[in-house]
Amino acid sequence: MPVLEAEHVAKTYFGRRGEVRALDDVSLSIDKGRLFAFLGRNGAGKTTFIKIAATLLLPTAGVVRLFGEDVVRSPRAVRPHIAVVPQEGRPFFHLTPREHVEEYLRTRGASRESAVARSDEILHAMGLGPFADEPAFRLSGGVQQRTLVAMILATRAPFLFLDEPTLGMDPFARRQVWEVIRAATRGGSTVLLTTHYLDEAEQLSEELAVIEGGKLLYRGAAEQLKAKVGREVRLQFAGGFEDAELAPYGRVLHERDRTTLLTTRRAAAELTDRALGRGIAVSVGPVTLEEAFLELVGRGIEEDE
Amino acid sequence: MTARTQLNAAWRICYFNGLVPLGRQPLLTAAVFLTPFSFLFFLYVIAKPEFFPYGVVGGVLFTSLFTGNGMLNDCAYLRLERQLQPIFVASPVRPIAYLLGMALSELAFTIPALGLFLGILQLVHPLSAFSFLALLGVALVTWLMSTTLGFLISTFFRQLREIWPIGTLTFSTLSVLPPVFYPLSIIHAPYRWIAFLAPSTYSAVLADRAVGLSGAPDIAPGFLSDPFVELGVLVAITLLFALAAVYLARWREP
Ligand SMILES: Nc1ncnc2c1ncn2[C@@H]1O[C@H](COP(=O)(O)OP(=O)(O)O)[C@@H](O)[C@H]1O
Ligand SMILES: [Mg+2]
Repeated sequence: MPVLEAEHVAKTYFGRRGEVRALDDVSLSIDKGRLFAFLGRNGAGKTTFIKIAATLLLPTAGVVRLFGEDVVRSPRAVRPHIAVVPQEGRPFFHLTPREHVEEYLRTRGASRESAVARSDEILHAMGLGPFADEPAFRLSGGVQQRTLVAMILATRAPFLFLDEPTLGMDPFARRQVWEVIRAATRGGSTVLLTTHYLDEAEQLSEELAVIEGGKLLYRGAAEQLKAKVGREVRLQFAGGFEDAELAPYGRVLHERDRTTLLTTRRAAAELTDRALGRGIAVSVGPVTLEEAFLELVGRGIEEDE
Repeated sequence: MTARTQLNAAWRICYFNGLVPLGRQPLLTAAVFLTPFSFLFFLYVIAKPEFFPYGVVGGVLFTSLFTGNGMLNDCAYLRLERQLQPIFVASPVRPIAYLLGMALSELAFTIPALGLFLGILQLVHPLSAFSFLALLGVALVTWLMSTTLGFLISTFFRQLREIWPIGTLTFSTLSVLPPVFYPLSIIHAPYRWIAFLAPSTYSAVLADRAVGLSGAPDIAPGFLSDPFVELGVLVAITLLFALAAVYLARWREP
């Protein structure tokens, strides 16, 4: 059952330097308990969508319903059920991570006891234990960001919006945060996150949407995105092929001293045979989500130009 | 959330945004102290001694008025620079609870300054309990008026840089030009009505009346000479700003 439904959402900003069409006819729905990732380049419109859905920004057109309530008409009915990690947020200067979590929960109406218990739990789960009682101004950027994510995830709100939640974190911290995000969905929350890290989207999300120039280019599972752009397999040849011979089969790249081709499974089988016939070493593997993303968005940009 | 939980939210915001930082860095109050105290010092050096008590009462009001500037800057900073207002927008916390919580934090920062000015006043112009409470009442209404105005203005800007001059301009105009630090009687009688265009003049005249300075009933022009009319106008303006802050402030971006 969808808990978020967006229909024909559009947003135009009217600035001093003219109009910016940040979202253009975006429709999508997200089922309960899902982890949905929004992918797109800088300025694609991800933050704009999150702000509209999280009752922080009015759309120019279209409707977003959360738990059946219209976010424009009934924000008060929606707000108790959501929490948001804003993009590039920063914590309160003087407060410690523990105070951030406890005070935010209590401000939202939690009792003292439950705020204390939940903050102990989440600080531990997110590896914030050693920093729990240091004021934020002494903490590194990555730990500050983890503090914000902790205070939002600790709410256990039924719908969580996370706008680039792992920005600036080291790989260990990112994995801890992923684990807590997964736990949130196991607990019944629905998560919409944006990220620049394609491996993060691949690791975390069951479903994703690719947005470019305010338009939805794709929505579905990561694997299907690879199939859709016809780039499921990466072949690497140790020489022996001219670019012109490979080009009709897919995208040719040069990585270090090797020629790489991103292509379909069918073409990969044919070319592997041909390479082996010529006695050329070839390695075969799946493309990454990043490669499929680059291909999809790259085509969109080429069409525009 | 019920009214009680909203009040509780306001109190939590006052606690973590006002009281905790104050306890950790008491020097933060210096910003509140310095300007009114410098004015008072100048007044002490250059003005006739009988104006000094006006200056002290002026310090109390200036401090109350400038909570609005603090509110404007802090709300804008939390919204634009730290993205912290949005986490309260996307939550059960109502704008009125956020407004009240932030306004109470600003009040917390003024407590040392208010204490100092009230202490000096007690030395140079001892007050009865009633006068003291009346002055405190005027200061509180002034605080509410300024902070609601500060919040309202803060929500209309997209850039922190644009806000700083607006705040300084607005609140300096409210506290330096009107008879906050000087007696209304200094202004020539035919022009006094001009001072009454500024909301802070009502605070100033009421405060002076409360502590028994320039209590002459005809000090203000026409019907404004009635303290109840003055109080009525001040309360009406405050209510107007509060309503505007709740209904017109941009809680959600347009
Ligand atoms: N307040 C604003 N005023 C004008 N333009 C804006 C504003 N916010 C965002 N934009 C523009 O809208 C587009 C989408 O921005 P955004 O949603 O932040 O993208 P993303 O999060 O995908 O990087 C960009 O071109 C950006 O410059
Ligand atoms: Mg963004």
